[in-house]
Amino acid sequence: MKKIQTRFGEVEYSPEQVLHFPQGLIGFEDLRDFIVMPNEKQGPLFWIQSVEDPEVAFVLTDPTNFFLDYRVVPEKAELQKLAMAEGDDCFALSVVTVHPDRQITLNLAAPVLFAPASNRAMQVILEKTHYQTRTPLPTA
Amino acid sequence: MLVLTRKPGEGIIIGDNIKITVIEVKGGGIRIGIDAPAEMKIHRQEVYDRILAENKEATQWNLADLNELSDKLPSRKDKP
Repeated sequence: MKKIQTRFGEVEYSPEQVLHFPQGLIGFEDLRDFIVMPNEKQGPLFWIQSVEDPEVAFVLTDPTNFFLDYRVVPEKAELQKLAMAEGDDCFALSVVTVHPDRQITLNLAAPVLFAPASNRAMQVILEKTHYQTRTPLPTA
Repeated sequence: MLVLTRKPGEGIIIGDNIKITVIEVKGGGIRIGIDAPAEMKIHRQEVYDRILAENKEATQWNLADLNELSDKLPSRKDKP
């Protein structure tokens, strides 16, 4: 086990469970390794913490919890970067923004593709899409 | 920054496999054609900048808000 400091306190993690972004996230290209943090509360939101920068953590969610027909098909080059074999699962996750007024929006225009088999992920920008960067989360 | 003047129909070649052609100049806009390998991502600057700004904002949250909001969220997958 290794330890890192975060702005939420000290966190222990095992290096083999690190989620690797070969290209980082957009605007955070230098940060390649994240750990997945289980949320303290039940629900669809979880977060990933940068191993390299204590200040950087993103909230993620599976958008199909809210948008049942949301689909992203990875391109060939993306499959290679994710070190995926044919037939491997690939999930599209959304970066969540919690605004100062505590509104929640999902970035459906730039999903994070996640390949569980290789523990790799990458953020892609969807071109020619009607999905928005700030899609409000439907409330009950 | 390298600055070049091009007329419609003229082009620029970058490296081994990127070719940019000026298609037409019309009403203050320029139509550009780009030939590049499919794996090379091409984005409009404003789209890329919007994603970058959104990512920066997405790192600004606190754990108390997340916990509280998580309690209130519906999850359709939990429902039969």
